[in-house]
Amino acid sequence: MPRYAMVIDQERCVGCQSCTVACKSEWDVPNGFARTKVRQTGTIGTFPKLSTSFYVSQCNHCDRPTCVPACPTGATYQDQSGVVRVNRDLCIGCGSCVAACPYGARYINAEIGKVDKCDFCVSRLGKGLQPACVGTCPAHAKIFGDLEDSSSDVFRFVYRGAAKRMETANIAIGPNVYYAGKPEHTALALASFAPVPPRTIAPGKVWSSLLNKVVYLAVGVTFLGQAVAFFRQLSTGEKQFEE
Amino acid sequence: MSKITRRGFLQTSSALAGLVGTGVASAESRPPSWRGETRVEQIATNCEMCFWRCGVMAEVADGKVLKLAGNPQHPLTGGQLCARGNAGTQLLYDPDRLKYPLIRIGNRGEGKFRRASWDEALDFFATHLKDLKQKYGAESVGFFPHGVAAGFFGTLMKAYGTPNAAEPAFAQCRGPRDIGYQLTFGRAVNSPEPVDLEESKCIVLIGSHIGENVFTSQVTNFITGLQRGAKLIVVDPRFSTAASKADHWLPIKPGTDIALLMAWANILIVETLYDKQYIEQYATGMKELEAHVKDFTPEWAESMTEIPAAQIRDTAHMMAEAKPAVAIHPGRHVTWYGDDTQRARAMAILTALLGAYGRKGGMFLPTKVKQGRIPLPPMPESERGRADGAGTKYPLATEESQGLTQGLVQATMNASPYPIKGWVVYGQNILESIPQRQNTLKAIEQLEFMAVVDVLPVEQTNYADLVLPEATYLERYDPPAVVTTSKRPFVAIRQPAIDPLYESKPGWWIAKELANRMGLADYFPWKDPEDHLSRLVQPLGINLAELKSLGAVSFDGHPYIDDRKEEDGPIFPTQSGKIELVSSVLKDLNFDSLPKFTAVEQPPPGYMRLIYGRAPMHSFSRSENNSWLDDLMPDNQVWINAEFAAKAGIKNGQVVILENQDGAKSLPIAVRATVGIRNDCAYMVHGFGTRAKGLTKAYKRGASDTDLITRVSIDPIMGATGMRVNFVRVLPTTGERS
Repeated sequence: MPRYAMVIDQERCVGCQSCTVACKSEWDVPNGFARTKVRQTGTIGTFPKLSTSFYVSQCNHCDRPTCVPACPTGATYQDQSGVVRVNRDLCIGCGSCVAACPYGARYINAEIGKVDKCDFCVSRLGKGLQPACVGTCPAHAKIFGDLEDSSSDVFRFVYRGAAKRMETANIAIGPNVYYAGKPEHTALALASFAPVPPRTIAPGKVWSSLLNKVVYLAVGVTFLGQAVAFFRQLSTGEKQFEE
Repeated sequence: MSKITRRGFLQTSSALAGLVGTGVASAESRPPSWRGETRVEQIATNCEMCFWRCGVMAEVADGKVLKLAGNPQHPLTGGQLCARGNAGTQLLYDPDRLKYPLIRIGNRGEGKFRRASWDEALDFFATHLKDLKQKYGAESVGFFPHGVAAGFFGTLMKAYGTPNAAEPAFAQCRGPRDIGYQLTFGRAVNSPEPVDLEESKCIVLIGSHIGENVFTSQVTNFITGLQRGAKLIVVDPRFSTAASKADHWLPIKPGTDIALLMAWANILIVETLYDKQYIEQYATGMKELEAHVKDFTPEWAESMTEIPAAQIRDTAHMMAEAKPAVAIHPGRHVTWYGDDTQRARAMAILTALLGAYGRKGGMFLPTKVKQGRIPLPPMPESERGRADGAGTKYPLATEESQGLTQGLVQATMNASPYPIKGWVVYGQNILESIPQRQNTLKAIEQLEFMAVVDVLPVEQTNYADLVLPEATYLERYDPPAVVTTSKRPFVAIRQPAIDPLYESKPGWWIAKELANRMGLADYFPWKDPEDHLSRLVQPLGINLAELKSLGAVSFDGHPYIDDRKEEDGPIFPTQSGKIELVSSVLKDLNFDSLPKFTAVEQPPPGYMRLIYGRAPMHSFSRSENNSWLDDLMPDNQVWINAEFAAKAGIKNGQVVILENQDGAKSLPIAVRATVGIRNDCAYMVHGFGTRAKGLTKAYKRGASDTDLITRVSIDPIMGATGMRVNFVRVLPTTGERS
């Protein structure tokens, strides 16, 4: 099985947001939100010895994701290649995972009432394509690949180079998006956009236990309904869709 | 044939997900807009969110463009696309687009129109132009085009008989650079700039802010060069993105670049670090140059530029060590102080001293591309000549140049040398791109007829008598891009991904229809744009169907001196056939034949010099209404030195109004108080603060630098408008950003 990871080369990144828009276009991300975005740290130092850095954020597909246990319905799960994914059919849009993510990588898509986030474009990978943000980057700052493949660029960066995880002493859950570049730039990005402790939605327990019953019911009904729809479709054939 | 439809597909997949139960491989991995399935068609075209024209693949289904991505087959830009390119669909589907022809019924500027049919609109245009020709002569119509797409309209206006066409690309952008390099090497720089960034060992940027100024392949080559170990020297009063990656950031005092360049030349010559063999073989005027730079020591330059002499020496040595693989980028928007051709000359001379022109890692040479010709009847000659001063008052703004927009404005305003009574504006935003907007508005008052062809209701449309809605680049054919300044020269096409929306029409159609009505049909001797295109690409040995599927076709290039062949022509097509360190042309015209530093006026106390630039999410003033780009960057900020701000009691994030030396005021703008800019200048991104109500997202968002550029310093050699000669102070405001 592959183990997918991404390396962001901060030396290459120019902060142009090509990745943000390519992703938005690929996934119909509504305005005001992003599955990946670029932020610039403030400028520090004493004129003219200054420093600034770019931080590309997205889902880190962590080894020990805090979002998975936070999900009351099992919609958020980690697949065998390490990709943290969301099953939209099970998602109830409760926002527990949004609060649980230390990296602010998730948002509720109000148009569909479900959570959304980066999934390394798994549907594109299946077609032999790179994630949408990777190919579009004019600076080639995003490097995607398989950590099990010792000939891959990500392997080289992670195991032979100095690529770092954006972790702090308190929050170390094994993110699989790594950052390469000058140590001071990585440090500046980490200091500016450090992960925050996972939160739960209050009043957590009562709400989620209540929710679970509703969800089991909802999932059951949905399943039945979809099964009926599916078999009906098989028997009647498909009508042209007209807008 | 049974087609999978979006609704059916989603139903089926979610039903399957339900069956599997855990939801593995369910609809979650697919975007709601249903892509990548059987009915998606890929159309190869090129982008026009800016003029770099990257290769694009448009994903089309059911007559809708679902997504744009880079065209991996494109010889220059490959699979990459910048934020703007990726957001092209939001121009196509912008609800604010011009939708049908409009005829003005209110006062100029008021924005009151009635809807007209195309027949009426085209007759209206043709009748007015016929009348103007009868009353005042064909020269009385000024033409303001922009970009390659204006080619068909350019033919129409030339055939009509007016020589008065002017684009800001020349006098408000890259003209001084092209003239400066032409005088030195015999060849303008051209676009895309043939700077060998990827092979360079030392990259020098003089005010260029690559990274914030994003042209995809230029960013790729820049970053690739740096990754391969190139040193980077950035000269900029502001700590730009490029400066943040530099080995040396030289925060130069604005307006003193020529002093720095001359000091660098001094060091290379005095310490005999220049490429002696190259200069002996290819250049003339070395003795005079040596004498000329004798006194321009680093210590002298330090007092002008405020850059330490030691650092001037270090950077000169860094370049010398890397020679000839030194890429001194000639810049693009270089109309700063009115001495800009001379600054470009100084950069060209430095490039020559390092032996870098025509050499790997420096600047490479263009390679010709064979093109088919479509013979046209001879164009009418104008007896009165141009009205904008190009070629006369400004001798090196030649006939081949793109004219002087501000000269045309002046001529219209003053009816001198003769009356200009009609304007045709195609794809140019005259109120934002031409400085001294007060003059442009006055000139418009003199007009009897003004027509605007555009995609969006930009401010100038409110002043027009006739507004013609053009199709966007994703809905039309344009003349092909023939690019010689690429290591592999190429031809790339623009073709429609879908039919034009609303009643918009492609530029070629509008021009051809007008020609029919104006008795100029002979100048459009082709059936349709495919016929036009196939005749132009006929000698390339590629059929149209193949070209349409690939989007572009490239050829072997001869980028370096050592590769040149007989058919490439002379390496240095100057008068002397050599690099002219001393310019014979400038000498003949009684201009300085070697660049001299002259001091520019400094801001009075309490004022800062206004400088401006670009952000990677926007293209000039044309993308601020784009929904996705607006989402990324809805307005601009004014960068002010943190210490200066603190002393003046201005807080970071505070909304202020800027006032210039003439009392012109900006719209409200937020302050970015930062250590990353000198204390004698203020910086903002150009393109915001439009007063066009029809642009519902961009209207009055941020501030426009053009509002504050009420004076210019004109380059006497070629007529460019130096615009960094305006000073601003901060007026606090308690008001919200409107």
